[in-house]
Amino acid sequence: MHFELSKLKINARFQFFIWTTIILFFFKFFIPSSSSIALLIINEILVGIDAAAFIFFLMDWLHIKKVNPLSLVMNIGILTALIFFFIVFANPVLGELSGATKSTPIKFNLIYNLISFVYSIIILGSVSYIFLAFRELYFLKQKRNVNTYFNTMVVFIVLSSYSTMLQQSSDLLYIKDTFFIISILLIIFNSIKISWIAFIIKKEKKILLFLSIIIAILFVLNLASNSEGSTNHQILMNFSPALAQFLKVNMIYGAIYFSVLFFTTLFHIPTAEAFDRKAQEVSSLQYFSKLITEVFDFDDLVDTISEIASKISSADASWIVWKDNHTLKSIGNKSIGFLDADLITGFIKETKSDLELNGTEFLNLEKFQKKSQLSEPYFFISISPLKMHNETKGFLFTARKNNFVFDDEDKNALDTFSDYASVAIENSHLFEESLVKERLEKELDLAREVQRKILPSKNPDHKDLNISSVFIPAFEVGGDYYDFFEIDKDNFGFVIADVSGKGISAAFIMAEVKGIFESLSKTIRSPKDILIKANEILQRTLDRKSFVSAAYGLIDLENETLKISRAGHCPVLLLRNKTAENMKPSGIGLGLNFTEHFANTLEELKIDLQENDTIVLYTDGITEAKNKQLEDFGNTLFEKILLENCDKSADEISNKVIREVTLFSQNNPQHDDITLVVLKWKQKLKNDGEKEWQNSALQLKM
Amino acid sequence: MAEFSTSTKDVGEVSIIYLRGYLDAHTAPALENTFSNLIEKGKYMTVVNFKELAYISSAGLGVFMAFIEKMRENNGDIKLSSMNDKVFNIFDLLGFPLLYEIYKTEDEAVNKFIESKNLEK
Repeated sequence: MHFELSKLKINARFQFFIWTTIILFFFKFFIPSSSSIALLIINEILVGIDAAAFIFFLMDWLHIKKVNPLSLVMNIGILTALIFFFIVFANPVLGELSGATKSTPIKFNLIYNLISFVYSIIILGSVSYIFLAFRELYFLKQKRNVNTYFNTMVVFIVLSSYSTMLQQSSDLLYIKDTFFIISILLIIFNSIKISWIAFIIKKEKKILLFLSIIIAILFVLNLASNSEGSTNHQILMNFSPALAQFLKVNMIYGAIYFSVLFFTTLFHIPTAEAFDRKAQEVSSLQYFSKLITEVFDFDDLVDTISEIASKISSADASWIVWKDNHTLKSIGNKSIGFLDADLITGFIKETKSDLELNGTEFLNLEKFQKKSQLSEPYFFISISPLKMHNETKGFLFTARKNNFVFDDEDKNALDTFSDYASVAIENSHLFEESLVKERLEKELDLAREVQRKILPSKNPDHKDLNISSVFIPAFEVGGDYYDFFEIDKDNFGFVIADVSGKGISAAFIMAEVKGIFESLSKTIRSPKDILIKANEILQRTLDRKSFVSAAYGLIDLENETLKISRAGHCPVLLLRNKTAENMKPSGIGLGLNFTEHFANTLEELKIDLQENDTIVLYTDGITEAKNKQLEDFGNTLFEKILLENCDKSADEISNKVIREVTLFSQNNPQHDDITLVVLKWKQKLKNDGEKEWQNSALQLKM
Repeated sequence: MAEFSTSTKDVGEVSIIYLRGYLDAHTAPALENTFSNLIEKGKYMTVVNFKELAYISSAGLGVFMAFIEKMRENNGDIKLSSMNDKVFNIFDLLGFPLLYEIYKTEDEAVNKFIESKNLEK
């Protein structure tokens, strides 16, 4: 939008310039005589407006183009040459015409006037551009505010140009001379300090040196050939004395400016290389500090480090040697094969046995060069340590093929740079670590989510059973599973299982186990057969290291019996008459054995249920809960608490147990899932002898 | 968490692995390495001494499951010895005594190997 507007503005300015030129043209043709002072002043004002219009147009145009100094200099050179040719050819070509006009009686010769008008306009355009180019060059890379100096000069140049009108009366000639001299002094003052030279590269400086001397000579030639008697001078004086003066002042400006430019460039050449290098170092470091935050791929980072190291030390090749499990490995090789890099690294290891560097060191490879089989000659190398937490993790190598030794400046640059590189590499490592950690945490979140969905959302509401269950997941999901199966009006099944291992893999096995028990409980009425079948099914998916401990119970509601089988799980506790009985029928964990041995050793226990019988299922998360001294909560304490509370409701019992476990382990982190299921058979409350209990799903989340 | 370490000793043809500390999911790879090394060397007769083992988790138990087949295929075995009550209880619950030979002392386990070797001859 802004760009479009400025374009419109430029167009408007150009149109304005065209219009003023046309007005000027008609003015010149219809009022050719400049004898009257008033007319002369109008003429000068018109020329001035025309020049100003053109200058403003050019100013905006240059602003958009954002030209570099060298192309400005080239443009000045071309225009100066153009003016030079005009002046040189004006004498023989236009000189005759003007001579001819003098002899003709007709006051104005159309052709001559037309040619001289075009000629003048071209000169006006060229000089305007040159002047504007000077302005651009002047403001280039200026740190201080120098507007005042330049504007003062512009004012005096304009005054000096317009005061040419006064030369007809010799009394006022001193005014013109004064303005002229002041202008020249200001030009000299403004030409002394040319700051932009420092910012161009050496190659450009050499071109500039050559250009500036030629352009300076051109300006001097133009100045010399534009003498009072020359045709060019006559035409311009005829067109506008101010323009003639403006041209003269500008030619002087050019001669002075380019002479100064020539000498400044000449003095800059010897230090150009050092300056170039400093500039490159600065830009490299800037580039790199940006990289520290951006590059998070280790390989990319290493390549970039190597590349920049090569640049800042003006080396031909570079690589990084990284310590990987006590072996040195070359990575990020830049302009050097890994064979050569390894040969040089090997040589360094021989000569410097400890390789503990405090900063960049340089080595002469000439001797090694002769006896080794390096495919390319390297004469000097630099080694900088890459340190992390005061430990050297690797080295940054750069190598030169030529005979230039590394100097102190190279050392400083490489020292600084290798510090940056170390930080960047460390960042990259930290980033990778946090990425892995994040992934693990995501995985655990997923595992917990799976587990949450697998476990029953609420406990069954049963007329003869008062059920309570508590599940507290560990940070690393453990793989505990429990479930209830209301098979039909006479059969109620329940299962508790613990999958070996942790995390997402345990969660997936758990999901499978749920599926197995859910389907088997529908068709098989024997806990033992269910477990045998489950073991068979699990053979297909479990790997050798994984197994599942499980206990399955089936309550016959009509006959009031309980059948239990146990595959490697913690015993099922039966609280009856103030005693705790460990129901521990023999059985191997699921997935530990797939031969008939499994079925042969599996037992099924059958008991008749009595009123107030309490069946307690749990996983080792409870008995193996640890306190700060790493002591187990243990079976004894567990049974003691259960017995103390065996008269209470299922919820009250489980609440009490969990509270005690929490108190016991205090702030010691929970390492395994905790699962506790309490089933109470036909509870009779003491106070009124009525069955009265509440069923509620209690699931604590941590 | 707590540390875990293993060390091995050869008594004749039998290799004895000593366990110390806490064997869980994080320390299990150390024991896996020990078993792998023995198999690499062709040593299939091993006795694991649990005397200084404080705790074993399900992942720790899994290590024995991973290697027992390989050992038995090569006429070897993993025999377990010198467990404290707590560790034995964990093995017992899972039914390991039905699958593994568990002995009170290391010597008993080693002798069992020697006996069966003699029987073969």
